[in-house]
Amino acid sequence: MTNDMDCFAGIDVGSLSTEAVVVDGAGVMVAFSILETGANSTEAAEKALEKALEEAGVSRDQIKGMVATGYGRVSVPFADKKVTEISCHSLGAFTLYPDTGTVIDIGGQDSKVIRVGPGGKVLDFTMNDKCAAGTGRFLEVMAAKLRVPLGEMGSLSLSGRGEVRISSVCTVFAESEVVSLVAQNHPREEIIRGIHRAIVNRVWSMVRAVGVHGEVTMSGGVAKNGGVVAFMEEKLGRPMHVYKEPQIVGALGAALHAMKGGGQPSSSS
Amino acid sequence: MSRFPPRPRKVYLQEQKALHGRHLFGVFPAQYPKEILWAMNALPVEIWDPPIEVSHANAHLQPYICSVVRLGLELVLQGHGDILDGFLFPHTCDSIQNLASIVYDYLGLEKRCYFFYHPKAPYRESSRIYYVQELKNLAERLGEQLGPLDLSELKRCVNQGQQIASIVRELYTMRSESKLQASNAEFYSVIRQGEYLHPEDFIPLLEAFLAASRGRAEEGPAVILSGVLPNPTEILSLLDQLGVRVAEDDLLACSRRLLVSYGNASDPYESLAEAYFAMPPCTTKDSPLEERVGYVLEKANRSGAKGVIFTMVKFCEPELFDVPQLVDALKARGLATLVMDTELNQGMSGQMRTRVEAFVEMMT
Amino acid sequence: MSLPRLARYYLMKDVGAPALMGLSKVKKKKRRREPSPYFGPPLRSNGRLREIMTRHYFLSRYAEGAKPVAWVTSGAPVEILRPFDFYTVYPENHGALCGAQKVAPELCAVAEERGYHQDLCSYARIDLGVCFSGQTPVGRLPKPDLLFASNNICQTVVYWYKALSHIWNIPLILFDTPYNFEEIKAIDISYMVRQFEEMIPELERISGKRFVEERFQEIIRLAKDSSFLWGEVLATMKAHPAPMTIFDAFAHMAPIVSLRGLPVALDYYRVLLDELKERADRGIGAIKEERKRLMWDNIAVWYKMRDFSNLFAEHGMNFVTATYTDAWAQTTPYMDEEHPFESMAKTYSLVILNNNLNHRLKLMECLIKAYQVDGLVIHSARSCKPYSVGQYDLKRILMDRLGVPSVIIEADITDSRAYSEEQARTRLDAFFEALAG
Repeated sequence: MTNDMDCFAGIDVGSLSTEAVVVDGAGVMVAFSILETGANSTEAAEKALEKALEEAGVSRDQIKGMVATGYGRVSVPFADKKVTEISCHSLGAFTLYPDTGTVIDIGGQDSKVIRVGPGGKVLDFTMNDKCAAGTGRFLEVMAAKLRVPLGEMGSLSLSGRGEVRISSVCTVFAESEVVSLVAQNHPREEIIRGIHRAIVNRVWSMVRAVGVHGEVTMSGGVAKNGGVVAFMEEKLGRPMHVYKEPQIVGALGAALHAMKGGGQPSSSS
Repeated sequence: MSRFPPRPRKVYLQEQKALHGRHLFGVFPAQYPKEILWAMNALPVEIWDPPIEVSHANAHLQPYICSVVRLGLELVLQGHGDILDGFLFPHTCDSIQNLASIVYDYLGLEKRCYFFYHPKAPYRESSRIYYVQELKNLAERLGEQLGPLDLSELKRCVNQGQQIASIVRELYTMRSESKLQASNAEFYSVIRQGEYLHPEDFIPLLEAFLAASRGRAEEGPAVILSGVLPNPTEILSLLDQLGVRVAEDDLLACSRRLLVSYGNASDPYESLAEAYFAMPPCTTKDSPLEERVGYVLEKANRSGAKGVIFTMVKFCEPELFDVPQLVDALKARGLATLVMDTELNQGMSGQMRTRVEAFVEMMT
Repeated sequence: MSLPRLARYYLMKDVGAPALMGLSKVKKKKRRREPSPYFGPPLRSNGRLREIMTRHYFLSRYAEGAKPVAWVTSGAPVEILRPFDFYTVYPENHGALCGAQKVAPELCAVAEERGYHQDLCSYARIDLGVCFSGQTPVGRLPKPDLLFASNNICQTVVYWYKALSHIWNIPLILFDTPYNFEEIKAIDISYMVRQFEEMIPELERISGKRFVEERFQEIIRLAKDSSFLWGEVLATMKAHPAPMTIFDAFAHMAPIVSLRGLPVALDYYRVLLDELKERADRGIGAIKEERKRLMWDNIAVWYKMRDFSNLFAEHGMNFVTATYTDAWAQTTPYMDEEHPFESMAKTYSLVILNNNLNHRLKLMECLIKAYQVDGLVIHSARSCKPYSVGQYDLKRILMDRLGVPSVIIEADITDSRAYSEEQARTRLDAFFEALAG
């Protein structure tokens, strides 16, 4: 259907997962792909792009511009330009939800809060990338400790009423706190709820630092966790926009940046 | 690729000792009367971010102590100070204060240690009187080791200080007006050689750099760097790569100490006092926030800088206490700000790169 | 200052406060706690202390606009403010209170959201959090007309007060005490004396009162006597068993820190001293079985006071001395109303944290011998660099020189988020074994 149309592609190479998005000349998303990054970022980027192109029914030479973003953006030599994931999440979220003024992105390894201005431009941002607390890793570690599948954590946190408070801000300390709570026979659901509260609180202080402006969009893999979304909405006092595939927002933004032009040449490293 | 690469420090210092009979003093950050040391044929060797691995210092310092102090102590513990004839500790902050005492009181080193207290703001008449007395007191104490200070020598060295300040001021002005053809990396590499070069070598270097760099700077957005030192040093080359010019700085190791005016007093001690009290505002002197805000805003106006990057060394209390209000004031004026928490000698991580790149994307 | 506010202040002082004290006495009677198997009878003076400090914070709410208000750092020479009738508030004391009431993390978070880094002193973060949010467990703190700081305890208080000065546009007066790297110098003393002379006109301007030197001398005398009594109070813990624990002392130090120079502090310590002497004479110990006597270094871990007190008492260990409580008694000998300015300069410059680490080591050795200390608990406080930097060496040297075992607890004065219960317990258990064996 898009056989002779110009298209643009964006590739978001994260440390855990890689996404690719193809948009048409009008900036409408045509296809996306998500796969595990694995050990080789360049290969992952290639594969993700191929998969998205296949989905879109588009050939490589129809791609008139490609932008790489994410942690592994330096490993995508076939991209024309690189743009940081901050700018990509901002533009991506804004395009999906034009009333977006704030983006909360909680990924596997880091989290960020972005203040979005007119046209999806970044006005301010803050990142947490040194500490596992407030990222998907925190949930992963806790899920492993409790022997609960990661995908079930969200729904478990929403079941039941009670909650146990996790006071540690550090993941390592929190882990031992959880171990003692289990030993004290606290109900699992209460502990899980407390864990979700903790991650939201951690990110919330970043949200407060940037300030809530306009509507809030949440992106990143952790946005698939219903508990995190619910508790964050509680803090905000209103609902957030969450795209059905929150992980692809960065790659979408990258594709849109490709359409706009700009960004750093990919060859510079 | 710098046109003025620094000479290996150890070799230079050995030469200074051998050829000029100079005493070498390891000086910790930040503000001290170097002219007094020069006048006594001593060479201050500043210890900011020595390129060494920390191992011994962790037995003496908790994890929440900044890496300037940690690396400084490591340097002493690893014996790199063996070439030195003594140490000088200015009273910069709590951590350096206690570091001085650990070195002097606890380590049992056979090395002379000197301490220099500079008065803290808000300044009054008593601050000035005290400063001159403390200068003389330092000279007296040093005199026991190095022989008495000759006042005419001090005058001559104050002149050298004036010369350096004058060239540095010109370099800064040119850079601010986009009339300096030099990369960010090279600029700071040259300026920071003053941390150990004798004025006899530093002045010609500055003059050569000045002569070689007249011209139009590349077009591109301009930023201001604020903090203790430009850390990590890799940030300078990253900004060069991104086509961003550091147009001004509010760095303790650089402009805050170097952009000084000595006034016209005939008494060299009065000149030194004049220079101290005329220094740009700094957290290590407790300068009021209004002054700091004014200083950075004025630099932004002058240079057309669109943003300020605060390169903070982790755990640096004096700097971190001022940051929130500086950021608020800058944001209110429409400037972009980025605050980075950094350690010394850890290079530039991917995350840091991303932050700086995102910041540049914000500005452009 | 406004007349209605002044009237309200005195109404509260003479009528409101006593009524409040009466009410709290009634409430106290209703709450009878189970006597602890490890502790001796509680101090009768505890009630009076609570009254004094509650009254102080209660009146603080009405001071704004009634009297000139000064926020003062714990080491500042408050005696120079008293002749001008400043109502003094000590944000550090308030911070300790917040820490003890376990509300530090939420107040700190307010400051952190405004950009103040989590690595900064938690007293400062609490205070800035209070300023930004207006929330405080004591109801309300009066806005200052003056910020009065001395850097004899640390440089951080100045960075903190500087921020307040800018946020509120309020004058800051700094009493700059040069660090005594070696012996105190004549030029240091004359610098400090000049500073006193320079600050008087500004204090007159802000307070609207003239400086009267006789009044200043009177206050120095009062403060000297109070500090002397405080020293005597601490000295009662030389008895075996000690009639009080250092955890009690951390509470009972509030008047000497924040009400020094006022008659209420002097009167209080007379009462407390009498009670402690009586207990010492009768062999009544703070803990029933004092098997080991310990020293505490650094400020308290305010949110763990009760827990630690119980834990150590269970092990038959009493804290009989501390460098922190001792600080308000150590320099008393320098106070001399006949030489007001010079003696104040020495008194405030020669405090423990403004002297080199050798001095601190000697002081600790003295205390260990005088109080017959068996072991040392060192609080490595994240917030407090001057106290904490050098502790690792201190531990080693005290062991080498005096054979005194010690344990380092990594924590913070008020921010419980920087504390790991598991880590501390592991270290303490090892310490208990070392002392017992």
